[in-house]
Amino acid sequence: MLDTLFDGYTRSILVFTGINIIAAYSFYLPFKTGQVSLGQAGFLAVGAYAAGIMTQKLGLPFPVALLVGGAITGLVGVGVGFPALRIRGIYLLLLTLAFAEIVQGVVMTWEYTGGAEGFQRIPYNAYTLDYVYGLLVVLLVAFARLERSSLGRAMDSIHEDELAAEVMGINVVSIKLLAFGLGAFVAGLAGALFAHHATYVDSTTFNILVGVNILMFVLVGGSSTYWGPVIGAAFLTLLPEFLRMLREWLELLPPEWVEGAPLKRIYAFVHEFLDFENEKRLIAYGIILIVMMILRPDGILTRDSLRRFFAGRREGRLA
Amino acid sequence: MIYQQLINGLMLGASYSLVAIGYTLIFGVLNLLYFAHGEVFMVGAFIGLYTVILAGANIYVALAGAMIACGALGALAVVATVRPVSKDHPLAQLISSIGVTIVLQNMAIYIFGGQQMAFPETIKQELYRLGPVIISSVQIFILVVAVVLMAILWLFIERTKMGRAIRAVAENHETAALLGVNVNRVVLVTFVISSAIAGIAGVLDGVKNSNVSPFMGLEVAVKGLVVMLLGGLGNVTGAMVGGILLGMVEILSAAYIGTTQRDFITFAILILILLFRPSGLFGTRTTEGS
Repeated sequence: MLDTLFDGYTRSILVFTGINIIAAYSFYLPFKTGQVSLGQAGFLAVGAYAAGIMTQKLGLPFPVALLVGGAITGLVGVGVGFPALRIRGIYLLLLTLAFAEIVQGVVMTWEYTGGAEGFQRIPYNAYTLDYVYGLLVVLLVAFARLERSSLGRAMDSIHEDELAAEVMGINVVSIKLLAFGLGAFVAGLAGALFAHHATYVDSTTFNILVGVNILMFVLVGGSSTYWGPVIGAAFLTLLPEFLRMLREWLELLPPEWVEGAPLKRIYAFVHEFLDFENEKRLIAYGIILIVMMILRPDGILTRDSLRRFFAGRREGRLA
Repeated sequence: MIYQQLINGLMLGASYSLVAIGYTLIFGVLNLLYFAHGEVFMVGAFIGLYTVILAGANIYVALAGAMIACGALGALAVVATVRPVSKDHPLAQLISSIGVTIVLQNMAIYIFGGQQMAFPETIKQELYRLGPVIISSVQIFILVVAVVLMAILWLFIERTKMGRAIRAVAENHETAALLGVNVNRVVLVTFVISSAIAGIAGVLDGVKNSNVSPFMGLEVAVKGLVVMLLGGLGNVTGAMVGGILLGMVEILSAAYIGTTQRDFITFAILILILLFRPSGLFGTRTTEGS
């Protein structure tokens, strides 16, 4: 349905942005209870392979594979979440990193799904775009409700101060485990969606850098509101594309606009600089990341900035 | 056979140790996982390679060049990417260091191209027989450099005033500042030293494997993290011993179990340590996470 509206390039950008946002939410859920995971890529891989086996090897329909794949990933998540309860901070970061590396190792050596040659000929899902954005709407509604529910508030209080939350009578253990498992479930869905869009995955598809990227989506977007992951994932996915387009736009300028020596020189310089090969683009991307963290260490979107935005609108309506 | 493998493990372990020392020093004074450390190692390897190729210099000049350039890179990193980021946001600092990783790696690809480059022979290859093992002149050279470097560093940390200041900051930022330690300077010195050591380790790695590539940093970065944990966060002696230990384990498991299972075992060890001895095998100076 949705896919008829866009050309191929736009479509693929939209799919990747959407899947990245879903992956960002999979990080955001455990993060809400103070658990920072570098290993979400491992859960994406579990979801992708589990669902891929169901459609390609067992011939099950995609929706079933998607849900069961997600559920299996969720169970794995609870399994990882148990030991994760005992540790925090940098130790948890390293534990989840190790989990992702081990998943990568299993995938690479498991001959059933192609081993190092990769998992090939996963059935293509023509409705990926609808699934991705449908799921996104569901997630947004769920988070909007979670924000105002006692469970959401309990999660926030665990994030702020675990001991205080426990003293208040919040069941810290089960809520943290739930958040970790649900996060893994969402990651499994993202992995399954990705696998049936790309139709091929291997052990490098979900490498450690993917996990690092997912963490960045949330922290760059802003982790204090559930809109942060959307903003961050969209911003960081589209930024390289935007940098690519800048030069094309520059070339659209009518030549009579850049008359005169100084202006021409500036134009030539900018044009030359924007001659982005992949590496140059990524260098710019890295620099933008650093600058962003200097200027907005809490991310693009914070609770305060949202409040100010809505307050401003309300005042505007009154006047 | 087993002795030969132990020598190989020692060689691998020495470079892990050198990288992990930097990680653990930086973690000690800043409570920061400095992600870009592996890329500094890679930059060092390239600088060593180019001083050999372009200036026709010998290996000692290459080591010195990499040491100085990477030390300067460390200073630049502190001034441009660590200090400006708010200290109350440890995750923002982590992301800023990921930004540095991306910039360094892609600059290397941009300047040097995305392929492996051969490292020319700078030390005459000679083989010595020592009882049951055969050891080459290159291996001896690398081991000597690594051991001398670690010894100097150990003396610096334990015996000099600056070393004491580094230990004080690692113990507690605020108390050290109250006692008159210039924390900013300590952080700067720590970065310069750690980066310089990583640069040397990069050149040694280039000499050992006879090649250098822009992608060599990532694996070392991850292994360095494992070693840092093995030795206990912020524990320099632990990082030295931990690196050798991990090198041995990897080589032995590759030799007797299988190459594909090697990384597996590394990360299984990591998980076991995290669960049962999170303070590392040798204890840790800083116990709280970031």
